[in-house]
Amino acid sequence: MHDDREIKRLLLLTAARDEGSAEAFEQLYKSCAPLLLGVAQRVVGRRELAEEVLHDSFAAIWRSVAKFDPLTARPVAWMVAIVRNRAIDVRSSHDVARVDSYHGADDDPEGMLDRLFDWSPGEDDAEERRRATQWVRGCLGKLKAAERQALVLAYEHGLSHGDLAAHLQKPLGTVKTWVRRGMDNLRQCVETCMGAAR
Amino acid sequence: MRGDLYGGGEVRLADNAQLDALCGEYLLGTLRGPARRRFERALRDEPRVALRLGHWEEMFTPRYTKMIEAQPSGNVWKRLERELGLARYRVPWHRRAGFWRGWAVAATAALALAIGLQILRPTPDAPLLPIATLAGKAEAAQVTAMLSRDGRTLELRAARPVVSGPAQSYELWLLPEGKAAPISIAVLGSLDARFALPAALVGRLSAGAKLAVSVEPAGGSPTGAPTGPVILVGDITA
Repeated sequence: MHDDREIKRLLLLTAARDEGSAEAFEQLYKSCAPLLLGVAQRVVGRRELAEEVLHDSFAAIWRSVAKFDPLTARPVAWMVAIVRNRAIDVRSSHDVARVDSYHGADDDPEGMLDRLFDWSPGEDDAEERRRATQWVRGCLGKLKAAERQALVLAYEHGLSHGDLAAHLQKPLGTVKTWVRRGMDNLRQCVETCMGAAR
Repeated sequence: MRGDLYGGGEVRLADNAQLDALCGEYLLGTLRGPARRRFERALRDEPRVALRLGHWEEMFTPRYTKMIEAQPSGNVWKRLERELGLARYRVPWHRRAGFWRGWAVAATAALALAIGLQILRPTPDAPLLPIATLAGKAEAAQVTAMLSRDGRTLELRAARPVVSGPAQSYELWLLPEGKAAPISIAVLGSLDARFALPAALVGRLSAGAKLAVSVEPAGGSPTGAPTGPVILVGDITA
């Protein structure tokens, strides 16, 4: 969907802060803003708040682009992290209504996992990265359904433990355990795959 | 060390056996409030924490499908452009590659209408000295710019008659030395013209600067900067 090499190129041109930087940054915006707005909107729910997050995030990208490390980081993941962080802050401070933003989203968490995310190996990905994508999807499939649902809901909508508990109508402690065990099982499963592949 | 994942107190996070758990919940978004702030501080201050989170992001950030995309309104970009002062990081229009190519003065019958937009009358009979030769593509008419000795009257002489169509004007620009923006000198209906130089520009038509002519909507550029094709340009040699 997004050409990582092209996006890295645009980020580097933006970081150069010369006469071509605004042009590169505008191209970066044009190619990534729709995705990043979608990511923000899943978390904050309301359109105008999502555009606020998009604005703040691109301002942050412009200011901190020199910190982007083209050798290690995946460029879209780097930008998604900035947007999600900002969206989570905004969500916390605006007391976004809990239900409207993810209404109906949990009807089919299993299906959502594959509709929302693309688990096919990226064309530009290194071999390691291609395998990692497969491992993460495979390991998510091995989690307990409740753990998997908690992780998908929390990630997609930027839910806190409290939000999750209210939404799933379970005690806070139970939900915290699902999240912690879910992440831990996911990590261990992926690390086992990595170890086996070496 | 306290057993609670979200406490932490004085413990440096890089030493925390639960660093992976913190990275995971930070990435997921469930780490909130003071615990999130504390983690972000550690991210800045402790390279090992940043390194570990980098590993998590690299491994676990999924790629979204197109279904999530939404089109932002145009205002978001306009606001960014303004607030970040992006204009400073753009190639000035008169140095953009290809800007001088592809445009010529078309001496067609359609151009045979003079509309006489020049309103500034020159001081009469001032002696004139050539200061620049403006040229575009090879077949375009050359225009000589002449300046009066007192520097207050400018005259353009085209090698052959060139007048604008009814919906267009020519606009003459001063391109100062360096990166400064072009300054409008006059809006013209014909490239044979003689007019008084605006007082603010007297003395500024000197070597190092350039003169250029662009095609604009009738009455001149609506923005104060060239908007149409630049058909002629030349160095000021005086």
